[in-house]
Amino acid sequence: MIKDQNLPENENDVLLSLEDVWKIYPMGEVEVPALKGITVEIKKRDFVAIIGASGSGKSTMMNLIGCLDIPSKGRILLKDQDISQFSESDLATFRGKTIGFIFQQYNLIPTMSAFENVMLPLEFQEIDDRTASQKAKEILAFLGLADKIHHLPSQLSGGQQQRVSIARCLVTDPEIILADEPTGALDSVTGKNIIEMLHKFWKDDGKTIIMVTHDSNLAKYANTTIELKDGKIIRIQENEVD
Amino acid sequence: MKLSKCLKHALNMVLHSKLRSWLTILGIVIGVASVIAIVSLGEGLEQSLTEQLGDLGGDIITITPGFSRGGDIRSGGDIRFAPEGTGAQATDEETVLDRTDVQALRGLPDIELIDTQIRGNVDVSYLGKSGSVSLTGVDQKVWSLITTNEIREGRMLNSADQNVIVIGGGLADSFFDQPLGINKVITIEDSAFRIVGILDDGSNSIVMPIQMAYQLLDDKEKDVYDSLVVKIRDEDNLDAAIEKIENKLMITRHVTETDRDFSVSSGQQMNKMRSEMLGSMSAFLTAIAAVSLLVGSVGISNTMFTSVLEKTKEIGIMKAIGARNKDILAIFLFNAGLIGLAGGIVGVILGIILSGVMPYLMSDIPLARGGTYVSVDIILIALSVSVLVGIIAGFVPAYQGSKLRPVDALRYE
Repeated sequence: MIKDQNLPENENDVLLSLEDVWKIYPMGEVEVPALKGITVEIKKRDFVAIIGASGSGKSTMMNLIGCLDIPSKGRILLKDQDISQFSESDLATFRGKTIGFIFQQYNLIPTMSAFENVMLPLEFQEIDDRTASQKAKEILAFLGLADKIHHLPSQLSGGQQQRVSIARCLVTDPEIILADEPTGALDSVTGKNIIEMLHKFWKDDGKTIIMVTHDSNLAKYANTTIELKDGKIIRIQENEVD
Repeated sequence: MKLSKCLKHALNMVLHSKLRSWLTILGIVIGVASVIAIVSLGEGLEQSLTEQLGDLGGDIITITPGFSRGGDIRSGGDIRFAPEGTGAQATDEETVLDRTDVQALRGLPDIELIDTQIRGNVDVSYLGKSGSVSLTGVDQKVWSLITTNEIREGRMLNSADQNVIVIGGGLADSFFDQPLGINKVITIEDSAFRIVGILDDGSNSIVMPIQMAYQLLDDKEKDVYDSLVVKIRDEDNLDAAIEKIENKLMITRHVTETDRDFSVSSGQQMNKMRSEMLGSMSAFLTAIAAVSLLVGSVGISNTMFTSVLEKTKEIGIMKAIGARNKDILAIFLFNAGLIGLAGGIVGVILGIILSGVMPYLMSDIPLARGGTYVSVDIILIALSVSVLVGIIAGFVPAYQGSKLRPVDALRYE
């Protein structure tokens, strides 16, 4: 069961905690651990950068935090609720309302316009058409895409596609934004714009942001850096940010 | 997600389908088109027969010479439908129906009227054009009281009639270059006859007083009949009346069950036989056409499996942003149903076109001579079946798609 999400919360409340989380993939007869006993807490309004080399377990951790997968061992508590206990349907609803995703490759539906892509999460939440349409248009306009709403992803530049992807993420007003290499496919100028946008959502709008990146320069925007190596946390660092 | 939104997304998927996807629904198109064409042929034939034969009366019994055992008609007599649906025509010279039989039947209290009939083909001409049509000689005193045909124009024959005829609607309307009307005179075997009535059917037949018919049909012997059409007093006693007629005739004709030389059939039997025959023929042909639908459903299934595979990543994205399994299932089921519907619509259009040209392409085949008739019912049934076939064929792929784990689906390239 999903608990009441409207309970008052303290700013220092733990929003997400991983308790001795393991993720083990069976490869034929061999079991390969991708995460080995991860224990970490992420508070509301944190901006966390998860860094590490390729194969360190960043994406696996991101999938678990994003409720896209469940751990092999251990518990993940998101807003005090163990995600392993959810039914698939409840988990999908919970995920849709609580978490917004920004992907490296934007992951827009290619046959839908920018507007339709942004509308999609609201349609899954069965928000009425008028409200949903207004929200989608407002957020697209806010991100400078007012004149592009009927364009298909293929008619947009990489930066514009990523902004559509951000609009789709923000339109449901999620508590947590999960960004997986959000600037990975963009040039440096556009990438900087995007990371500054995320930083603003954290700073001004109080969003909790969890970003996976291999770029240590991007990690400087986060107030916490978690470094992974071979499926284990090797360092947690608090950063001084503006 | 609301079902209307699922339908919208499914429609979007169909509109963006690749050509390959459309080609795989050809099976549905061919199946539906075949079913429409075949059923329309069957319905056309049934309508044509009904038009020609009319509704065979429930209180009418027809007696013909010859007796059929296991499909073999002893002593000749090829059974075929006649204008009143009266069964058989005697071609046998040894076993005949004559005045003796009529006298014997008159003694039965169940019988109200007896019409004596002979039948044959005659040459007719009008305004320089000629052709061959079927002629039925009837006892004009009772024919109008017994026949199930209705008059469209003019009147029936009456007891004082000489050299007048009643003709079928088909003969009146389209046999000659000019349509025939009341009081027009046509030539039958070099004798002139005036038309007094036109039947409300599509047949190319002529009905005239039996005494005149004897003069035109050289091979017919006077007071020998091709059939006796009997009207009984009480329709509810049909079976009993048939039994009495059979017993009476067996006595007067000195035959038993084993060497019986006449047949007795009722309008009800003929109606039943006709609809059974048409029904089983249509069912058989429809079953053959349905095989195409089955093949088509495999095509849809294949398309849906491919589609789910192609859209694995999209399923992952949708699940990441809040889609539940049932949303994905509904979208893909709608998609499959819409593909079936699209195949059905194209199939219906093709089927209607086929129905239109088939009578011309198959003019030598008796089945096609009745023309075709495409009913709204069969169109609705065909469309519903094609949607249903699509949904059934798409269920397994849609279910598999809905059960994909978001993490795996997102990783799919």
